[in-house]
Amino acid sequence: MTILPKTPSRAAREAAAVVQRSSTSLTLRRLVRDPASLVSMLVIVLIFAFALAAPLIAELTGHGPTEQFRETGLSPAGIPVAPNSEFLLGTDQLGRDMLVRLAYGAQISLLVGVVASLFAAGIGITVGLTAGFFGGATDTVLSRVMDLVMSIPFLLCAIALVSVLGPSLTLSIAVIVFFSWTGLGRVIRGQVLALKHREFVEAARSLGASGFSIMYRDVLPNLIVPILIYTTLMIPSAIVFEATLSFLGLGIVPPTPSWGGMLADAANNSLYLVAWWMVIVPGTALLVTTLSFNLLGDGLRDALDPTSARGGK
Amino acid sequence: MTKLFKSAIAIVGTVAILSTAACSTPGDGGTDSQGATGGTLKVLANGDVDHLDPQLTAYVPVAGVMHAISRSLIGYPTVEDPDARIVPEGDLAAALPEASADGLTYTFTLRDGVSWGAPDGARPLVANDFERGIKRLCNPLMSGAMLGYFQFLIEGMDTFCTGFADVAPDAASMKDYIENNDISGIESPDEKTIVVTLTEPASDFIYMVSLDAAAPAPIEALDYLPDSPEYRANFVASGPYTVESHSPDALLVLKRNDAWSADSDTLRKAYVDRIEMTMGVEGDSAMQQLQAGSADLLFDIQPSPANIQQLKAVNDTKLSTMPNGGVDQFMWINTKTSNNGGALQDIRVRQALQYAVDKAAVIQTMGGEELAAVNNGIFGPGIVGYLPYEPYPTTGSKGDPEKAKALLAEAGYPNGLTLKFPYRNLGLQPDIAQTVQSSLEKAGFTIELTPVPPTDYYANLMTNHDNAVNGVWDIALVGWSPDWQGGAARSVFQPQFTFNGTPQAYNYLDYNNDEANEYAKQALLATSPEEAAALWHKVDESVLADAVILPIASRLKANYHSDRVVGFTPYALSQNGDWTNVQLKK
Repeated sequence: MTILPKTPSRAAREAAAVVQRSSTSLTLRRLVRDPASLVSMLVIVLIFAFALAAPLIAELTGHGPTEQFRETGLSPAGIPVAPNSEFLLGTDQLGRDMLVRLAYGAQISLLVGVVASLFAAGIGITVGLTAGFFGGATDTVLSRVMDLVMSIPFLLCAIALVSVLGPSLTLSIAVIVFFSWTGLGRVIRGQVLALKHREFVEAARSLGASGFSIMYRDVLPNLIVPILIYTTLMIPSAIVFEATLSFLGLGIVPPTPSWGGMLADAANNSLYLVAWWMVIVPGTALLVTTLSFNLLGDGLRDALDPTSARGGK
Repeated sequence: MTKLFKSAIAIVGTVAILSTAACSTPGDGGTDSQGATGGTLKVLANGDVDHLDPQLTAYVPVAGVMHAISRSLIGYPTVEDPDARIVPEGDLAAALPEASADGLTYTFTLRDGVSWGAPDGARPLVANDFERGIKRLCNPLMSGAMLGYFQFLIEGMDTFCTGFADVAPDAASMKDYIENNDISGIESPDEKTIVVTLTEPASDFIYMVSLDAAAPAPIEALDYLPDSPEYRANFVASGPYTVESHSPDALLVLKRNDAWSADSDTLRKAYVDRIEMTMGVEGDSAMQQLQAGSADLLFDIQPSPANIQQLKAVNDTKLSTMPNGGVDQFMWINTKTSNNGGALQDIRVRQALQYAVDKAAVIQTMGGEELAAVNNGIFGPGIVGYLPYEPYPTTGSKGDPEKAKALLAEAGYPNGLTLKFPYRNLGLQPDIAQTVQSSLEKAGFTIELTPVPPTDYYANLMTNHDNAVNGVWDIALVGWSPDWQGGAARSVFQPQFTFNGTPQAYNYLDYNNDEANEYAKQALLATSPEEAAALWHKVDESVLADAVILPIASRLKANYHSDRVVGFTPYALSQNGDWTNVQLKK
């Protein structure tokens, strides 16, 4: 048996055999290995597809989202019909097709969820970064502003705003953004406080980098993990916020369909007593969507942060 | 004016849900279906009474409370027959009054044995007490909602009220003014006789005297501010019950009034010993309690269409419906706004709206033909003057979008119009608004729906006439219940469709129609109900010819009660079972 001497060329060959993986690919591999995350992702893709296909569904069924089918979709006493071959998910109190409304409602929910979360994330990042990086009086003022926003009762404020300005999609998004950014803002601020004393920041500073350059070129890229996780987790809460507003009649104005509004239709006038599908259909959609985003958010955290308890699989 | 829509549907309010009615006494172990005297009648309510003062109340369900504690000169029998139910008869008065030949003087004679449950024991109710009640209507602190009907009708009352307006609004000053000033048109030649002189003949005067607002008032009522907590705590009753306690928004307890004698009252049997009204209960919870037998009757809550569907599925005979004389819903078309270049001022555009609305669809949304009916005039069924007719006929009342489009094109709007349509965000209103929207859009209108909080709708949006002028709304749905039953056309027409220069809260557009006014004047002079009915119908036709209002439906009031209740019979004024004539199973 001969022992081959370890020559530099051999060492190089061995090194080439080990595939070097990027951080993204490692993250994706970890994510895909978590079945809950995988299913959630799949469900979210399906929900997006469902929302995008809303006009197609309307076309296929021949039922518009606000079209009232008073002969076939309602009893003479105005009671909605249960799921059947014409209306796959039944009808609502005005004889409208629940399936078509659910699809159009998904557009609203996802639009509000994603748009509001992105805006809220933008504000949260900016405020958190500024407060954490500059510290001192800036930090005190911005932190107190965050405390203030967090202490405002969400529903009371929403009701007051809506009664003054009138309900609309834009106002719903604005209200949700206003009440959503603080969580991320606080987290970012805390992270920045920890990061700004790290060596690479010191190094950048000693190289003469400006404050803004350090913030955006050195600190911000290190915050990508909490930003991704928190933004993903903000989407389901924004969807629930929107549903809450619409449920209370403060969000999307009828007859535009929204999931919260559909739930309100079931609750109004005790219709849920005779039309279970009016609760189950939008309720399940809301549950599945928020659950999927939450599970995906959890999975992302595990995948992005291998040091966490369940990470490193 | 009637605070009707509070009564329309169980109010989905933000009222805190208080724990439900007091402990239940289910079944009492008996299977006897016969009622008996005694027991506690448990009533469930969502909201409180508007006032516990007969002169001030204007809320339909409260008529049931008042029927138990306060008596007027005239009343209505508690019977099943809807026609007989609105035929007035003597309550405190021994019989209907004799009218003089010129229709200006009415003479009432009080029954024997009628009395007050005064703090120091029973005291006979005398003729002068009636005048005191009428005088309280225009007290300077809080005038009665029905004052407008009496102030200019009873001779000398306007003078009395004008003087009263200058009196300091404290109990002592008001008492002093009431006891030392007279209304010249009300005389009491003896303790049993009341003579009322009117300024003009009024064929509906005897109906007006049936109102709680016209109930006699005891001298003790003047010791407190009207409807103050002290007034409520020291209530002096003339009916079979009196107030034991009242906690606002929580509980009202009525106990027997010992001064009342059954011989003096042909309208009330007063079977139960106590009546407890628990407030803050939501609609579904109330229905469940009634079905479980832990409560008996509803106050301001109505079974929802879904409840009704369920009850009908099991053939529950405890469910009943009754007409209430109102028109609910109807639409005002804003002729004051300059939106769309004043398009709504063109009668052809308004007629297009009249043809466009699918009234049958609205009926379906309201729960179908068992709960509502198409109504095409200003008067609802049961009102003298109501006659089914269709000034803007469409097949099956389903609307005629083509005819509407043609009228719009003729008026110069071939591409339709955009209209602002605020609606009350309460109960069935959002559904009704969307149903109307859907039918109007078929006719080429674009409808912008705006939800309005229910408490703001009448108080801030509609009754503020600037909103009409400034074009805040183009079309709006409202409803109206007459303030009394039977010969009540005046209480529909006068507050809503007349304008003499002084704005009226519920005439949102200061609408006036000289032709209609003339017919109304003649109708009030009519000597027979048939003649009055024919003339009031002409009033209806004249108003509809202007197409400013668009009547859609009249609603039926649905009632439900527990299995314990025996002899549930509707009382016309409260549109609910008569608390004073039900028995409880033993």
